[in-house]
Amino acid sequence: MSAIVDEPSRISPLTQNGDLHSLHHAANGDTIEELTKEVEVLKKKLEEERAKFNDVALNVVAQKLDPITSFQLKSRRSLKGHQSKVLALDWSCDKRHIASSSQDGKLVIWDAFSTNKEHVVTMPTTWVMTCAYAPTGSCVTCGGLDNKITLYKLSTDEDISKQKRVIASHTNYISCNQFVFSDQQLLTGSGDSTLKLWDVETGQLMQTFQGHQADVMCLDISPSEAGNIFLSGSADHVALVWDIRSGQYVQIFDGHESDVNSVKFHPSGDAFASGSDDATCRLFDLRADRQVGIYKKDSILFACNSVDLSLSGRLLFAGYNDYCINVWDTLKSVRVSILYAHENRVTSVQVSPDGAALASASWDSTIKVWA
Amino acid sequence: MSNLATQRKLVEQLRREGAIERKKVSQVCKELITFCEAHQQSDALVAGFTNQKENPFKEKAGCLII
Repeated sequence: MSAIVDEPSRISPLTQNGDLHSLHHAANGDTIEELTKEVEVLKKKLEEERAKFNDVALNVVAQKLDPITSFQLKSRRSLKGHQSKVLALDWSCDKRHIASSSQDGKLVIWDAFSTNKEHVVTMPTTWVMTCAYAPTGSCVTCGGLDNKITLYKLSTDEDISKQKRVIASHTNYISCNQFVFSDQQLLTGSGDSTLKLWDVETGQLMQTFQGHQADVMCLDISPSEAGNIFLSGSADHVALVWDIRSGQYVQIFDGHESDVNSVKFHPSGDAFASGSDDATCRLFDLRADRQVGIYKKDSILFACNSVDLSLSGRLLFAGYNDYCINVWDTLKSVRVSILYAHENRVTSVQVSPDGAALASASWDSTIKVWA
Repeated sequence: MSNLATQRKLVEQLRREGAIERKKVSQVCKELITFCEAHQQSDALVAGFTNQKENPFKEKAGCLII
């Protein structure tokens, strides 16, 4: 990892300002054709370099492992109340509350134990595509087609919509948002193809991350604070690894043949899983700098919208447009189980912070808790 | 950002990425397996609960006092 983290220091600050003269020295091509040609040459070289390190497949190394036989997950709760498609969910750190947002323009805070709705907030927009709990559990953020992220302070006694504040904005819809290790900073991803880092208290923009060539669909922050890196996935079919401090991307992961809808760090922080419109999920390793696993079947034809990993990284949960949640053994690359219960597309899956349960959101307007 | 600037940035990144230190896939796979084995016992979704009473979402049997 050290080699990766050290990389951004070598980037000339001038290139960030778009100074054409310095760029001329940095990358020789003058025209888009020359540059495109050079990209192809470099990609080929990179592929050859990566291939040298690809000495064995993950499922071969994992052959000696015992298969997972004890897997038994049941739908234990169904959270009902949204009037339309549920687009996103996020667990609270208390492992009990869940925030969800929907096409009906509502943000709901649920008590997943009792299935009660503790707060319902009406947003000024429909298609609330993303919501996030702050790490302390004291506030929730959400946004979507309004191109903004609004923060709501959670209190037990009053209408939380009175306590709202806009803290982030983009020039296109916001697809994802996540707090960065504390309640102080928020990272957002947008259809404007950028990600932005915000100071929550002041709403000040701290950094813009430019590099994707199409809509940003998803992001995930490294489980290791020392890493200072995060992931993004985009409609340009690639996932990027970014250095938070420098604002530059440090690794490119390609392989998916369509939009990357979801990226999630492996709990070790050394790898990540992804889900795509190409109906596959993949596992990429940062240190090998390449894809090490692929999870697909001829019978799976529909897009994967969301992925998450169990606490040990052994299981990969993936929600699809065919109403199913497929459970994959990440190491053996085989499907362990299929979770049926939703009656429409599964938009979001997330393992609870203690790893004891899985929550899933669907176009069928419900959220289900599996344990 | 213009398409030209994006492509330039990509060229630079690909050059840098060509030079990074890599680990062999066999090595990283072993490490992923080691991590998994070290945490599998505490992974309730893989190992299940040793006792269903520990499952916070287990439905209560019989009548429920509200």
